[in-house]
Amino acid sequence: MKKSVYVVLTLLLVLTGLFIPSEEVAAEDGAALKRVQDEGVLVVGTSADFPPFEFYAEVDGERQVVGMDMMIAQKIADDLGVDLEIQDIGFDSLLPALEARNVDIVIAGMTPTAERRKSVDFSEIYFKTFQNIMIRAEDKDVYTSIESLKGLPIGVQSGSLQEGLAEQIEDAELMSLTSLSDLLLALKTNRIEAMVMQGPNAEAHAGNDEDLFTFVGEFEMEDDDAGSAVAFRQGEDSLVTAVNESLAEIAEQNLTDDYLVVAGEYMVQSETDEDGEEVETGFASDYWQYFWDGTKITLLISAVSVFFGLILGAILALMRLSKTALFRFFATAYIEFVRGTPMLIQVMFIYFASGMFFNLPALTAGIIAVSLNSGAYIAEIIRSGLNSVDKGQEEAARSLGMGKNDALRHIIFPQALKNIWPALGNEFITIIKESSIVSVIGVGELIFQTRVVRSISFQGILPLFITMMVYFVLTFSLTKLLNFYEGRMNHD
Amino acid sequence: MIKVNHLKKSFGKNVVLKDINEEFNQGEVVVVIGPSGSGKSTFLRCLNLLEEPTDGEVVFEGTALTGLKEKDLNELRQKMGMVFQQFNLFPHKTAQENLTIAPVKSKGVSQASAERKAVDLLNQVGLGDKVAAYPASLSGGQQQRVAIARALAMDPDVMLFDEPTSALDPEMVGEVLKVMKDLAQSGMTMVVVTHEMGFAREVADRVLFMDDGYIVEQGTPEHIFTQPTHERTQDFLAKVL
Ligand SMILES: Nc1ncnc2c1ncn2[C@@H]1O[C@H](COP(=O)(O)OP(=O)(O)O)[C@@H](O)[C@H]1O
Ligand SMILES: [Mg+2]
Repeated sequence: MKKSVYVVLTLLLVLTGLFIPSEEVAAEDGAALKRVQDEGVLVVGTSADFPPFEFYAEVDGERQVVGMDMMIAQKIADDLGVDLEIQDIGFDSLLPALEARNVDIVIAGMTPTAERRKSVDFSEIYFKTFQNIMIRAEDKDVYTSIESLKGLPIGVQSGSLQEGLAEQIEDAELMSLTSLSDLLLALKTNRIEAMVMQGPNAEAHAGNDEDLFTFVGEFEMEDDDAGSAVAFRQGEDSLVTAVNESLAEIAEQNLTDDYLVVAGEYMVQSETDEDGEEVETGFASDYWQYFWDGTKITLLISAVSVFFGLILGAILALMRLSKTALFRFFATAYIEFVRGTPMLIQVMFIYFASGMFFNLPALTAGIIAVSLNSGAYIAEIIRSGLNSVDKGQEEAARSLGMGKNDALRHIIFPQALKNIWPALGNEFITIIKESSIVSVIGVGELIFQTRVVRSISFQGILPLFITMMVYFVLTFSLTKLLNFYEGRMNHD
Repeated sequence: MIKVNHLKKSFGKNVVLKDINEEFNQGEVVVVIGPSGSGKSTFLRCLNLLEEPTDGEVVFEGTALTGLKEKDLNELRQKMGMVFQQFNLFPHKTAQENLTIAPVKSKGVSQASAERKAVDLLNQVGLGDKVAAYPASLSGGQQQRVAIARALAMDPDVMLFDEPTSALDPEMVGEVLKVMKDLAQSGMTMVVVTHEMGFAREVADRVLFMDDGYIVEQGTPEHIFTQPTHERTQDFLAKVL
């Protein structure tokens, strides 16, 4: 065991060395721009829960990420003469995805703060904005200024510009969450008294929800903080220059105003859906497609991961029981390492680390990560199952002249399977639930779709409830199915 | 048929078999007796290499088993049936499947002929009506008879028994011994570790007395049971008879 600890640590150090970015950013002469143009596609990372800048809407019956930023992205792609591909990723993961080369640029209403400038480069500011305070409509006569919020619980999106601004509210108790939908829900359920939100975004929400009210907050801001810019990997100056040219044109012709009008129309579309009698019955029929798509992806990830997890687990278990010390050591190190690190980090690591070498779609990366993770757990289940079979069984098989493999396959394994069936079923159910973690890299599974529905429907709780029910139906039916097969294996 | 030369076996520092030289001939029934822990099971298990001997050799039908490749060893093991104290039937298979799995998977016998043979053998051990029964639904005596039939299904040249009746309730011992007697009468070569002195007296051609890792004394049943020459044999028999 001691030896394995040592080797695992060495392995870790080597890996760390591999992924520490080299400080030196090579000057480039048009390489970045040429790369994008050679590939013929500009991959833009965004976080599509930020109307009117980026959000989902039905366009000609098809669900798309739309909004002002996306129209800017389209203009940039057009000017570069390439196609546009949009990747929807959680806001927190955008800059890692950029640095790991999963995307070419990031357009997500992102403010070029000094902190962010340390790791990425920014274009000129393409949209000057203001910052709002969001409160419950019923409080609109009580909370009228920043001063009136003194000492109260205030919500902000974690890692956002607003998180810094909220410090200007005296004695405020800050509640930082990743998702704006969650923050709005916290506001409506009285967990917080107010939120600091980007101006147009706050207006979009207040305009769609009569329980909410928003007003401009008089924060002191540095010039840079007052707007959104496009983010680039450091050193890709040719791309920055090209994008700045497009942005200059947009500014000249005042195109953002037009873009906002178009974006507003998409939002109105989702608003009318909620109008009139339809509100009661309409929710499921409007959004069931999202839940259905998410459920399919969740099932796909789970089934494929369990399949590969079983194969990997069986191999690892056999390696752990092998006579060869090297196999035993490798399997043990792998299992201990995977079990000793959070799946969230594993998913992000595989996605972002792979992005440094080749382009792995998020869904594939997610499935690989979940498979690699469950392989370790299944290996331990299989190992304990093989150990649980009485030694006499193998001896009886060998005494009949059966080879090692035949004995394992026909005698030991079927009995082990019966013993570990409940534990395997548990693992399958765990995977169904835990696979939701891949939503952090933008895989459109159930949790991800729930986030989408919450942001476009301006509904906080109902989507959560529906998702909970879907998970329950999935896991409950699976339990029943597994019990059925367990019964069929039972000959006692 | 089986020749054992200078067989030694230790588990770590524990030397269990010290120097065994023995020969078993075609058609012979040999009973091995001795106090618990004297190495009887280990000796028996060394004969088909379920235990790897530490030193010495085991020659079966002219081939030294010690040092054989896995595949060749498996082929020779098919000719050495073994019956265990704890039956070790395959619980996920019916009586018939217990008898067919090894012939079909390892010997290349066709499923149909293996099944026919299984039914015959189960009839032979008096369990013709238990063809489709799972082990868990059988009594200990019935399970052990299925286990004997399972070993016979491979058409072995020799049968090794390790205390086949020790785990049975007393009323079931008789039915298993009866099957073994029939087998002996049919001319099967048998090596039987047992505490059933009656069986030894009646069926054995030769009795070996083991103690402390050696074969201390051997001879016909009459010789061993009526006029044992060795003091340790006398002590042992005084206790069990
Ligand atoms: N697999 C094993 N590992 C370690 N020691 C063993 C093993 N099998 C048997 N022994 C030891 O060998 C000695 C002889 O055991 P065994 O052959 O079972 O005796 P018997 O069958 O005559 O009662 C005992 O001391 C026992 O503890
Ligand atoms: Mg014994």
